[in-house]
Amino acid sequence: MIFQDAAAYAASGFAPKVCVIGAGPAGITIARKLATAGIPVVLLEAGSNEWTEESQDAYKGVTIGDPYFDLDSTRLRYFGGSSNHWAGWCRILESYDFEPKTYIQNSGWPIRRSDIDPYFDETYDILGLSPFRPDVPVTDNFRLFQVIKSEPVRFGEKYAAELEASKTIAVVLNTEVTELSGDGRSVTGGKLWSRGQAAGEIHAPYFVVATGGLENSRLLLWSNERSNGGVVPNAAALGRYWMEHPMYITGDALITNQAFELDHEGEAFFMPSPEAMARLQLPNFHVQLETAPYRGVKALIANMTCYAAPETTEWLSHKLGQRLQCTARVHMDWEQLPREHNHVALSATEHDAAGVPRIALHWKKDESDRRVMLEGMRLFGEEFARKDLGRIHISDWVRNGEDYPDGMELAGNHHMGGTRMSDDPKLGVVDRDCKVHGMSNLYVGGSSVFATSGQCTPTTTIVTLALRLGEHLSRTISNS
Amino acid sequence: MTDAKTKRSTRRSFLRTLLAIPATAFFFRNIRLTEHDDIVEVDGWILKRSDIL
Ligand SMILES: Cc1cc2nc3c(=O)[nH]c(=O)nc-3n(C[C@H](O)[C@H](O)[C@H](O)COP(=O)(O)OP(=O)(O)OC[C@H]3O[C@@H](n4cnc5c(N)ncnc54)[C@H](O)[C@@H]3O)c2cc1C
Repeated sequence: MIFQDAAAYAASGFAPKVCVIGAGPAGITIARKLATAGIPVVLLEAGSNEWTEESQDAYKGVTIGDPYFDLDSTRLRYFGGSSNHWAGWCRILESYDFEPKTYIQNSGWPIRRSDIDPYFDETYDILGLSPFRPDVPVTDNFRLFQVIKSEPVRFGEKYAAELEASKTIAVVLNTEVTELSGDGRSVTGGKLWSRGQAAGEIHAPYFVVATGGLENSRLLLWSNERSNGGVVPNAAALGRYWMEHPMYITGDALITNQAFELDHEGEAFFMPSPEAMARLQLPNFHVQLETAPYRGVKALIANMTCYAAPETTEWLSHKLGQRLQCTARVHMDWEQLPREHNHVALSATEHDAAGVPRIALHWKKDESDRRVMLEGMRLFGEEFARKDLGRIHISDWVRNGEDYPDGMELAGNHHMGGTRMSDDPKLGVVDRDCKVHGMSNLYVGGSSVFATSGQCTPTTTIVTLALRLGEHLSRTISNS
Repeated sequence: MTDAKTKRSTRRSFLRTLLAIPATAFFFRNIRLTEHDDIVEVDGWILKRSDIL
């Protein structure tokens, strides 16, 4: 069933066991998983079937710290969520990403990758993927790994017909939860706003917040403020440890022996081994070689002399020219460390149309970001030369610690942390089952639960965790 | 003691590298040794020592 607003839904008399808030990849996946166990779910979606200026306006906010995307362009607020414009690049966090590291403060998840393994097949099915090919070691310290560049699944489009036909899931469009109420032990209800006005309350035995990696923090911070700490009783970490994947072009490559496979877009992705990361005390990162559409030394020199030391580049190009197979830009994405001070806060002055404070995102890269960029490039470059695969040039701004350049991608649009998973309520908001610490009926779906971010795109892991949460909740409900 | 030894050997290998770089390469501006004897970083290029002999 799909209802167009809260009034139409209220008239239906539908009695949900679970209220899932937000119909993006996480919310839709959790609702479908619950429905397969016969559990009635109401799935509330703030936006409509398509993009509207009014709905999107609620996502406006400010970023304090480093330059970041406008908060209303880095996500979409309508049925299907940001899957309406995601690129479809898929990869699951590595086993190593879940493990605590002595040299990274607050690293480690309370679960291991083996806890999400059982949900891979279903995840592949949802995202239209084949299983990932095994990594290929190419040097002592680097592995070539597969990023699946899938035909991006638009969750709203893909599942609209199924949800429309479902008797177990009631989707309610144009209906947002402005705040949850709670008594410090459980959520007692949620206030609704639909078609520009207050629309009463929603009640259900269980609630799942799945409104996206920025919005989950916003909704819970506001709800907690309104109920005097009754929604997230242990709120030390709420909104905090927010992370992105910074990404920049950090150099160039001359490839003289292409002993590794490029994907259909002429790109290859390399990840350091856990041993190399531990030895250098680096977080995870990847190096992406984007081979250039041009071949030959002249074009390379013309291009490179603009920014690399001209005499050196020219000399080197001639020297290697005979063996040159192709050239590439070197692009790096890395794991940002979970820092308490990077956080989602509520604006003290700005509110959206429903009266909810807008987001003030505090986000700043630090010396660890600089270090992983430079040390990562050096490690990769040294290995590349030693194996005679080619030669790497590190961009001057990276070596000299200059400002991050304007006009590059800067980050992945990956919003992680804010309600991170931890066994310790002081360091996390949800427990290993994605249940809010201290609350009996409140759960969180999406990448806001990531304890650390790894180096890869988040949505595959989001779907996997959503399936796990759906199954856990089905079991909990059946046993109760 | 270990520190002094490391410093000495780093200085020695740096000198060795400089000596190994031919005159034609003097326009290189910025040389950094790496932990591998056979690899040097020159103006941001990570090269095999044999590249610049
Ligand atoms: C340009 C771009 C490219 C990307 N490319 C990739 C990629 O290649 N690979 C990858 O893995 N990831 C990518 N991502 C990230 C990916 O889109 C997100 O990880 C994913 O959409 C998150 O899913 P979600 O369900 O947690 O949140 P969302 O997709 O944000 O969905 C949340 C839903 O909740 C609704 N909502 C919000 N507030 C409320 C409320 N109060 N009440 C009711 N409903 C509410 C929203 O309207 C939305 O539908 C990209 C993102 C962008 C912006």
